[in-house]
Amino acid sequence: MKKAFVPKLAFEGIRKNRRMYLPYLLTWILMAAMFYIICYLAQPSVLEAIGRGGSTQVLLQFGTYVVALFAVIFLFYTNSFLLRRRKKEFGLYNILGMDKRGISRVYLWETQLIAVVSLILGLLAGIALSKLAELALSKLISGIATFTFTISWRAVLYTAVLFAGIFVLISASGLVQVRRLSPMQLLRSESYGEKAPKANWVLGLLGVAVLVLAYYFSVTIKNPVSALALFFVAVLLVIAATYLIFIAGSVLLCKILQKRKRYYYKKEHFVSVSSMAYRMKRNGAGLASICILLTMVLVMIASTTCLYFGAEDSLRTQYPNDFIVEAIDNDTGVTVLPENVEVYRAALTKLLTDEGVEAKNNSDYYYFGVAGLLHGTTLQAETSFVDTDTYDALTNVYILPVQDYERMSNKQVTVAPGQALVWGKQTQKLPKELTIGPVHFDLIPTEEAAIISSGSMIQGFANLYLVVDDYDTVTQTIQAYYMEKTGEILEQKWRFAFDTDLSSEEQLALYDKLSQTFIDALAQQNADGFGYRCEALEAQREDFYGTYGGFFFLGILLSMVFLIAAVLIIYYKQISEGYEDQSRFDIMQRVGMTKKDIRKSINSQMLTVFFLPIGMAVLHLVFAFPMLRKLLLLFGLLNTKLLILTTGVSVLICAVFYAIVYRITSNAYYSIVSGAKE
Amino acid sequence: MSLLEVKGLKKIYKTRFGGHAVEALKNVNFSVDEGEYVAIMGESGSGKTTLLNILAALDKPTAGTVLLDGKDFSKLKEASVAAFRRDNLGFVFQDFSLLDTFTLEDNIYLPLVLSGNSYEKMHKRLEPIAEQLGIDRLLKKYPYEVSGGEKQRAAVARALITNPRIILADEPTGALDSKATDELLRLFSRINEAGQTILMVTHSAKAASHASRVLFIKDGEVFHQIYRADSSCEKMYQKIVDTLSLLTGGGAE
Ligand SMILES: Nc1ncnc2c1ncn2[C@@H]1O[C@H](COP(=O)(O)OP(=O)(O)OP(=O)(O)O)[C@@H](O)[C@H]1O
Ligand SMILES: [Mg+2]
Repeated sequence: MKKAFVPKLAFEGIRKNRRMYLPYLLTWILMAAMFYIICYLAQPSVLEAIGRGGSTQVLLQFGTYVVALFAVIFLFYTNSFLLRRRKKEFGLYNILGMDKRGISRVYLWETQLIAVVSLILGLLAGIALSKLAELALSKLISGIATFTFTISWRAVLYTAVLFAGIFVLISASGLVQVRRLSPMQLLRSESYGEKAPKANWVLGLLGVAVLVLAYYFSVTIKNPVSALALFFVAVLLVIAATYLIFIAGSVLLCKILQKRKRYYYKKEHFVSVSSMAYRMKRNGAGLASICILLTMVLVMIASTTCLYFGAEDSLRTQYPNDFIVEAIDNDTGVTVLPENVEVYRAALTKLLTDEGVEAKNNSDYYYFGVAGLLHGTTLQAETSFVDTDTYDALTNVYILPVQDYERMSNKQVTVAPGQALVWGKQTQKLPKELTIGPVHFDLIPTEEAAIISSGSMIQGFANLYLVVDDYDTVTQTIQAYYMEKTGEILEQKWRFAFDTDLSSEEQLALYDKLSQTFIDALAQQNADGFGYRCEALEAQREDFYGTYGGFFFLGILLSMVFLIAAVLIIYYKQISEGYEDQSRFDIMQRVGMTKKDIRKSINSQMLTVFFLPIGMAVLHLVFAFPMLRKLLLLFGLLNTKLLILTTGVSVLICAVFYAIVYRITSNAYYSIVSGAKE
Repeated sequence: MSLLEVKGLKKIYKTRFGGHAVEALKNVNFSVDEGEYVAIMGESGSGKTTLLNILAALDKPTAGTVLLDGKDFSKLKEASVAAFRRDNLGFVFQDFSLLDTFTLEDNIYLPLVLSGNSYEKMHKRLEPIAEQLGIDRLLKKYPYEVSGGEKQRAAVARALITNPRIILADEPTGALDSKATDELLRLFSRINEAGQTILMVTHSAKAASHASRVLFIKDGEVFHQIYRADSSCEKMYQKIVDTLSLLTGGGAE
């Protein structure tokens, strides 16, 4: 065989099969571009230029792994699909006298050509689009927009290595397959396995059972920690169930319908039911993959947009005031001495006056926090609390002196010894009494003091606020009890929180001065055991958006990758069905079906088969909703309405996109089917 | 009046890019009487399949008419043509044309289901036919699970089950070995004796020798025809072979 002959054959092979190869090539290019972009963005230098790092960097790093893994799986999958079609041609070469070595060389040339071309084009596209992606990212995470254009040679290298690896993997598997088959098998491989499906009761029912189980997990989920634990289990169950249902379950359903003679032997059902069974068997796996990809996209978009647009909300829940100052006394470890507090308060007041800042919604109080498991009316001392079983019982109890409560709520109250006023946050029902070790209270429900800042607590836990008269005695008794039980030192704290009318920059400036003021005050007091914590919402915002914006960006990027995959699977499905239906179209016409009948039947089948995955994906999403809601609680997001909204919108967008893809690909289908008629 | 009457049939295929047109049929005239068994022979490319497609209303003639029972169905709308085809014509093709998605039984029912028959009725009709064709034990199998001859018998059953006025067969023995061919030809003779009209296109002189009449097509016209009258199959075969050698200047097959 002449040397130049091989590349020519390979090139011809691609050209002749361009209906199959073009989308494949496009996928390679897009995957390479995506991978380059995410590699580029995940670099510390790029993120530093934007003015971010930390959490965003970790997220994007994670994203590179996901995209890489997905690229490997997906390109491998599509290649096997292509190979199935190409084998026929290879079989012909073999019969016409080309040996397997020759065929392997042609095949290698083909894959090589595709890999090299797509890597070059992909990198070019990636480099061209990387700046755009960078600007988008920087916008989302409220970073700094820079306008210098850079090429990251490291990202280029990573991309090249990854795609060279994929190339090796794909060609190796292809070569093994070409070598293993006999010419007759090669010729027949495309029509191989075109048997009508048999119903598999075990698998079909198993699929339904597994799905019900996964849904049950999600719907009955109680708390965020178990949601986190069960989420991945549920995801795996749903994936397994989807494949089982699409491959076996749907065939089973068709077979059951076929058993009902009265239903089956009707003009409207006869052809559709039997060809559906046939289609589902051949395309079940593809449909299930589409369904799972769509579900992933929906879940990702719904939750990350919710996180992003709810960022302000969660920021507010975690930081109810613009500024929060908290002091503890490391020397005594137990009490905050009023004279120390006085120093802080004075320094704070002076600063605010000097700066001319009017503090609003002030709250100024001592409090004492104790966490434990609430069983009935007893708070059990327990500190290792992040545990699925104990989560629901976990309660934070905050104890406040009555003087502070009166001052902040502007009313006079009387609290007898052994009594406590109480209000709750995120609690189901207020207990009537409460025992913490040796201390016992009768609880009297009262109004919440609106200005009390709940502080940066962990969301999702029950919080009880108790107002007591003999604050020092109570807290000291509980401290002693906890010390004995758990060896843990519980601290009393003093908290000062306020809002301002300042702009974001001014708040940040004030925040810096605030910290400095305390450092000065501390030096002056010479009480190095006295500690403070000073937080400003504005300072946190940066970090919040760094994380949530990063999530959002990653969500969009991965969704794009998954959608491309879904589109390609749909396209190949339509094409292969088109080729398959060509001959059936003819036969049905010969036995007396009108063209209109055939078209109608095919249309309804295609529509069903096409919208089954998205229908199923939406069903998955609906059942995943309770779990998502719980998971988002972990991020401090309590806004269910927003989640419903983002879920609804993402379903809508996906559906529209899907419908467009349907139109385009079904045109390809019809052109194949009718092309055969001429 | 004859069952089928073909008058002045002409078919010109126009190639798509306005290239030269192909005249597949020039001027075909013949008629088939009720209960006849007619074979059509001719060289490859002489227009046999084209003729059959027009008879089946799968294609429209450029000129000329086809009358079945005195009705010209080329004038019907597509929906009525499909129904007409279903009720009056039965088809047997070289490639069997069975759908892989159906069992043999369902394949046979297909035309009846399309005209809206109930399962019980179809089943009652199928029983004697299946027995006659010797496929009663294969009904639950799929096409890829049975042999070519068995497939063709199922296709014949599908053609017969509608009680068609005429069966059109395009090289029905083309994909069969000699044993299966013999079986099928015997079958055709038997159903013809029972009164079924058959029109069969074939390349094989042996297959044609079973017919009561053989038409030869050349250059888009009926060139010659021979009647069997009372002669035996062997005599008929000889006549056909002689005509063919005259037609092509060479031997048959
Ligand atoms: N769709 C078409 N478009 C253009 N030309 C056609 C078309 N179908 C058939 N022809 C031409 O019409 C002529 C007759 O074709 P037809 O298929 O009827 O021959 P045939 O007698 O059945 O041949 P064979 O014995 O090989 O099956 C041929 O020259 C063929 O090339
Ligand atoms: Mg022909």
